[in-house]
Amino acid sequence: MKKIISVSKYEYLHHVSKTRFWLILFGVPLAMLAIFAITFLLSYLSFDKSPVAYIDRANLISQPQSLPENQGFFNDTIPLLAYQDESTARADVENGTLQAYFVIPSDFQSTYTINFFANKQVDSDVTSEIRSFIHENLLLRTNIEHLDRIEAGSVISLQSLDGSELSDGNGMGRILVPILISVLYFILVRSGSGYLLQSLVEEKQNRTMEIMITSMTPKQLMLGKIIGNLGLGFTQIAVWLVLGGLAIFLFRDRLAFLGNLTLSGSYLAISILTMLLSFIVVAGLFTIIGATMSSMEEGNSISGLIILPMMMPFYFVSTYFSNPNGLIPRILSYIPISAPLSLSLRMTFTTVPTWEILLIFAILLVSIVLVFWISGKAFRRGLLEYNKRLNLRDIFAKEVK
Amino acid sequence: MDTIVVNHISKSFGDKKAVRDIFFEVRPGEIFGLLGPNGSGKTTSLRIILDIYQPDTGSISILNGPMTEEKLNNIGYLPEERGLYQEVEVGKNLAYLASLKGLTKEQIDERLPKWLERFDLTEHQKKKSKELSKGMQQKAQLIATLIHEPEIIIIDEPFSALDPVNTQLVKDLLIELRNQGKTIIMCTHQMNQVEQLCDRLVLVDEGKVLLSGTLKEVRERFSSNQVLLQVESDLPADLPEIENSERQGLYLRLTLKDGSDPQELLKHLIDQGVKVDSFEIAMPTLDEIFISVVKQGKNGYEEDN
Repeated sequence: MKKIISVSKYEYLHHVSKTRFWLILFGVPLAMLAIFAITFLLSYLSFDKSPVAYIDRANLISQPQSLPENQGFFNDTIPLLAYQDESTARADVENGTLQAYFVIPSDFQSTYTINFFANKQVDSDVTSEIRSFIHENLLLRTNIEHLDRIEAGSVISLQSLDGSELSDGNGMGRILVPILISVLYFILVRSGSGYLLQSLVEEKQNRTMEIMITSMTPKQLMLGKIIGNLGLGFTQIAVWLVLGGLAIFLFRDRLAFLGNLTLSGSYLAISILTMLLSFIVVAGLFTIIGATMSSMEEGNSISGLIILPMMMPFYFVSTYFSNPNGLIPRILSYIPISAPLSLSLRMTFTTVPTWEILLIFAILLVSIVLVFWISGKAFRRGLLEYNKRLNLRDIFAKEVK
Repeated sequence: MDTIVVNHISKSFGDKKAVRDIFFEVRPGEIFGLLGPNGSGKTTSLRIILDIYQPDTGSISILNGPMTEEKLNNIGYLPEERGLYQEVEVGKNLAYLASLKGLTKEQIDERLPKWLERFDLTEHQKKKSKELSKGMQQKAQLIATLIHEPEIIIIDEPFSALDPVNTQLVKDLLIELRNQGKTIIMCTHQMNQVEQLCDRLVLVDEGKVLLSGTLKEVRERFSSNQVLLQVESDLPADLPEIENSERQGLYLRLTLKDGSDPQELLKHLIDQGVKVDSFEIAMPTLDEIFISVVKQGKNGYEEDN
């Protein structure tokens, strides 16, 4: 145990002491922040907030636009101003007071066409705002009760025959959680396993491996490395979560839509446990790669083959919306590498039967045993092959202990 | 009781037979030479002893039994392929490797400075390993091998990359360790070092033992019944022990008749008033034995196949 701790401590501190680690740790969120800020700034600067005028010749507008009290970055509304005559509006567009004007002709009720005038192309926000403005006033003329409900639309609740909920029609918002889980999982795998692969190949290249395995059993060495590198992945995730949480706190007014997301404890527990178990499988696979490859370049190209299936559920995301308990979502939940994302997506849209969750855990546990059995063999066989890349037949050759 | 017993081990990798039949035993407190040309099966044998590989057949006994973690901690191993973390400071490198051998932080803090001092590396301990010369890296590696004060020391080519001063330093150290009762297995190609250090040796090639015994036994076995003689005058014509005489520079190489005793010849020469400057029984050097045995072994091996 002492040696496992020694190895994991060394692995952890070794990478933490490198500039690269800190660059990634703070560089990634900073880069994301910078991209967000630049995109936002550019769209904000290019967004024309000057008013649009309308000349209502059909007497359609009975309720003028009501502007929200708090105008902010995310909810800018273009003021729509009533003008009496077209020539004034035209002059104001020319002198820049207005960005455009539109005329509701007297025969609007028969043509449902308005005439729009502007010197330049306007943002789509402007046209959609005009549409809803006219829509609202048209509806007002019909004297319909519960107008606000018609405006808001219906809530469609889909139910499966066995009573488990399928979807409430608000799936796009809820999908944020599995996306977040997959991003975290991806980071955990990329950084944790990436460091693991790197340290194995490095120890083969710098020949420390032979000293390592004459100081402890390969199992101790593998465990120490996996724990150390898992710790690195978790450190990154923890720091990013804290930074993310800070960002959410700072911009909480702007991110009110997140308030609708509720996460159950069992959902989080199952997702995190799946992620952890799956990571251990991936770590085992990376150990096999590290033990059998003789250079980092080779290792990286093969590791891409493991990363690819991880994201597979995203390629079939529409299937998860329509039929989360269908064949493809099920199969992807049973594959250890794609299980975390697949299961969390399914659990977002439906109730996954308990027996299936248990089955997925069982598959993950069996995979861990299997992968570690193979990686143990690869480890013993491949660690001292400094210049040769091993293939499967080499790993399973009879001379291996 | 022997410290290490290698009992007729064999090991194949695929079609390649790395070790066919190697056997020897290493006694407590001796320096044992494991010799052989490149690719002869030495390193594989060492890795089997160290439990990195399992033998296909045969067995290993270390300190009277199979390898355990405790016994691994009691072995210092200097592998043929040297290994240090190139980007890490030498001091940290050594502290980490020592911790893997079971040393506590206090033990490391106490021992490491002494070893660095002894190997003249104190002022280099903050340097990254890659910044050290090959010889310095070799010395750092030796510290990693010895810092946990193992009972058994297995060293593969300990003198490679060392200058004569450091070679002497390591030789003195090995002798000191032997005097402390440590058991040492040494692999090397430098036969002069073997002659100076090893108590017993085994010579292997093509995965088989070609020769084993004490240094004296081996040399005597290969002595060719010749005498190297340096005299100031001509030799008397009627020396009954001599079959043939050949001049080699200042020396005469005399081949004796079967059954003749070199001591009798010396007595005879002195009795006849010959002034003898030097009289030496011509023993072959270990180098010569090595080359001739390996050559013979190869011929034998080819005939076997």
